[in-house]
Amino acid sequence: MMQAVILAAGEGSRLRPLTRSKPKAMLPVANRPIIEYVIDALLENAIRDIVVVVGYRKEDAIRHLNRLDAPIQIVVQERQLGTADALRAAEPEITGDFLVLPGDNYVNAESIARIKKERNAMLVAEHPNPSNFGVVVIRKGLVREIIEKPEDAPTFTVATGIYSFTRDVFSCLQTNEIPDALSAMIASGQRVHAIPADDWQDAIYPWDLLKLNSRMLRGIIPEIAGMVDASVIRRGSVRIGAGTTIGPNTVIYGPVTIGSNCNIGPNCVIMPDTSIGDRVVLEPFTYVSDSLIMNDVTVGSHSRIVTAVFGQGCILADHTTTYPSASFIEVCGQIQREEFGAILGEGVRAAPFTTFKNCIIGNGVTVEGGKTVVGLIEDGTRVM
Amino acid sequence: MCGIVGYIGRRDATPILIQGLKRLEYRGYDSFGLATVGSAVEVYKKVGRISDSEAGAAGLAGYTGIGHTRWASYGEPNEVNAHPHIDCTGKIAVVHNGTIENYSDLKRQLEERGHIFRSETDTEAIVHLIEEYYDGDLLAAVNATLPLLEGSYALLVIAENTQRIVAARDASPLVLGVGDAEVFAASDMTPLLEYTERMIFLEDGDVADITPDSYTIYHGGRAVERPIELISWHIEDTRKGGFAHYMLKEIYEQPQSFYETIRAGIDDHVRQMVMEADEITLVACGTSYHTALVFKYLAESLCNLPVRVEVGSEFKYFTPPLHGLVVAVSQSGETTDTVAALKMAQARNCPTLAITNMQGSTITRIADETVLMRAGPEIGVAATKSYMAQLAALMQIVNLRCEGAFDDALSHAHLAIGDVLLQDIREAVDLCSKVGHAFFVGRGPFYPVAMEGALKMKETSYIHAEGYAAGELKHGPFALLTPETPVVAICTPGPTYGVMVSNIKEMKARKAPIIALGVAGDTELAGIVDIFIPIPDTHLLVQVLTASVVLQLLAYHTACALQRDVDKPRNLAKSVTVE
Repeated sequence: MMQAVILAAGEGSRLRPLTRSKPKAMLPVANRPIIEYVIDALLENAIRDIVVVVGYRKEDAIRHLNRLDAPIQIVVQERQLGTADALRAAEPEITGDFLVLPGDNYVNAESIARIKKERNAMLVAEHPNPSNFGVVVIRKGLVREIIEKPEDAPTFTVATGIYSFTRDVFSCLQTNEIPDALSAMIASGQRVHAIPADDWQDAIYPWDLLKLNSRMLRGIIPEIAGMVDASVIRRGSVRIGAGTTIGPNTVIYGPVTIGSNCNIGPNCVIMPDTSIGDRVVLEPFTYVSDSLIMNDVTVGSHSRIVTAVFGQGCILADHTTTYPSASFIEVCGQIQREEFGAILGEGVRAAPFTTFKNCIIGNGVTVEGGKTVVGLIEDGTRVM
Repeated sequence: MCGIVGYIGRRDATPILIQGLKRLEYRGYDSFGLATVGSAVEVYKKVGRISDSEAGAAGLAGYTGIGHTRWASYGEPNEVNAHPHIDCTGKIAVVHNGTIENYSDLKRQLEERGHIFRSETDTEAIVHLIEEYYDGDLLAAVNATLPLLEGSYALLVIAENTQRIVAARDASPLVLGVGDAEVFAASDMTPLLEYTERMIFLEDGDVADITPDSYTIYHGGRAVERPIELISWHIEDTRKGGFAHYMLKEIYEQPQSFYETIRAGIDDHVRQMVMEADEITLVACGTSYHTALVFKYLAESLCNLPVRVEVGSEFKYFTPPLHGLVVAVSQSGETTDTVAALKMAQARNCPTLAITNMQGSTITRIADETVLMRAGPEIGVAATKSYMAQLAALMQIVNLRCEGAFDDALSHAHLAIGDVLLQDIREAVDLCSKVGHAFFVGRGPFYPVAMEGALKMKETSYIHAEGYAAGELKHGPFALLTPETPVVAICTPGPTYGVMVSNIKEMKARKAPIIALGVAGDTELAGIVDIFIPIPDTHLLVQVLTASVVLQLLAYHTACALQRDVDKPRNLAKSVTVE
């Protein structure tokens, strides 16, 4: 029986401020933690013996995993030293051939079907910005070389972090990173197959979550469990959780998913590619499009929310606007330029008439009195 | 405070009983035992915890069986005193939870008639009585025995050559779980959740005759119908998962436990009862007593409602004059002293309200109305998430009396609770794990919070900790302050902030190390104390919750640093069902 090890111990520091209270693998996309999509893909391939390595903010992950239907074994990596170290933590649970998967990337079942047939193989994919990944040089279907995050990438083929191994790999884990072990295996003459992925997607920066979100929303199963007023107009696939109330004259164009116990409307407009978590309040006359709103967020009346990610517990007053544009932002020492509206960390509060323009706002930031906020704001700042 | 479990059906009884006893271990873990009926009655007993030595029981055969995990009351914990007890012939076995108060009389009479007693327990009298009446009809024998017993009992009885269990309860809890051609019985529903969601809560005086395919419940000699209740608890909630301890898991479940209890709201009958009360008396024990005290401070200061709080065990014997609403607070709903107090209040025609986590428990059936806490099953002996859910229920009553003034604070409180769970308190843990004594002080609603913090510290880490009102420390305990006696002080903005700060300075002057909980950004306080732990700057009600969580974490991590058995502290059991 094939086993699978899912690595979910890492924080995902480039996704800050969103990873304050949960690891990257637990960030919700289309209202489900990313790791659940990975587990689904494994279960579709009849791989049920799953070990998850947790570490950073492990409590949240453990509680969630315990509630899933699949019997999942949990292993704790005490300090987050690297992927190979995480894999070593899982070693006692491994009895034979196994797959290794990052818990914070989306991968579909077909990709796993391809790689599970091979021993000593890695799943590779094409990516427009290969410099953020390990770039893989392939010859005749075999991996020749892995170059970690090169300035100038020789190809667009990148490592997905998904591998198929035998137990022998544990003897090759010399450093703290799995690619080093692969390089060592290749150097010693072992054949490592490169298997092209069918569908794989990573979220490295916070705005990547929006792309992942709209990708995952394509797969939602429409279901209406809450109270939806008869005058509500719905099109496309819309999912509404139990206990949620949708007020009169609200318009929802799917794909949209809304969690449980929310209170939305009257007269709100929710446009495609939007996920709304649990206990969210959207006050009347608010427009939301192409956004990811996590649990316990309140958005005041007459707001316009476009291409935004709101962390848990943000409370935004009326007339809040997120204004998509592109400017230069430094994330983890690298200058990035990407078009999006706003990324808000947990517990951000904003006064009426605040405009967020292409900005990343830290956890617990308070914005007072009708400001336009741009750029990067540190955790806990008070914007006067 | 023992736990009993029974199974009858088509499966091997032993593994189900062992699993059930493990889930009941929090009710007692001095010793355990099993008995099954295959062709004959087979018994296995052992001192210690079932999780340590289950293997020996595996040899018992039969599809019908009973089990017991013990918290010693009559007779020390040894194999002879462990249940099940068997009669002189070895044909009947009994497990019992409760106490038989007239057992010495019974024992004398039985010994005169030639019965041989092997143990020092009260239970053995029951099995010898049943033996006297037994002529092949187990139900009749139990029915004849019960009127002779004084005290409390939940009983499961099996006998040779009969595939049935006879169950009886009076003043001790007993739940039946109805499966598909199998029936389970247990002291509470936790062990049953993994097999069925259909539960029957037996009432005092009920006797049930159970076979694999049917069960009949008798009350006063007549067959009665008891409703089957569907339980929505998840079995996942009773698993530890990847957490090191149940206590940690339950600490992390608190945002949910608070939120769910708030969301469940208060029904109209309770609402009316609370609004009509011109005085409230709360009766509670242990941690519940502390939540009741928090309620007292909040209700008296915020909504001008006179509140009295009484310890259950004192109330029973020294009943003060009673009028107004009487509220019993108990996680398990089975706490003997609280139950007795509730009965007394009812005898005096006071309206009664129960606040409990256990649907169908004893106090819910005595009280006029019930507020059910939504904490889910709590396994760790030290109460954490049930404390939070109790506060949620009680703060809702405060909010009700204040006409919804705190709606906003309560509906967002779970976020602040979640937030404070991320707090790094290693420095404070380091300090506490090196000392033998500690003080916890606070003022106003933070005084009971300090008491609860001290209780958690005592029960999990075995460090001698005392909770005091900050002003009381100077009336004696000051003499105990040394550089090895840390003081944990809760000091948040409000009318008492200034005097709290000067209290802290006085203690500091006696060289006691100070761990202070204050709101984030309070640099003045952070400057004068040794270790400062920030809690979110939120509403007073929410500060009470977040400060409590910090103190739970402090107790938990200190206990772990000292390598204590956090989930099963020595000498303690979860629900106290003896006086």
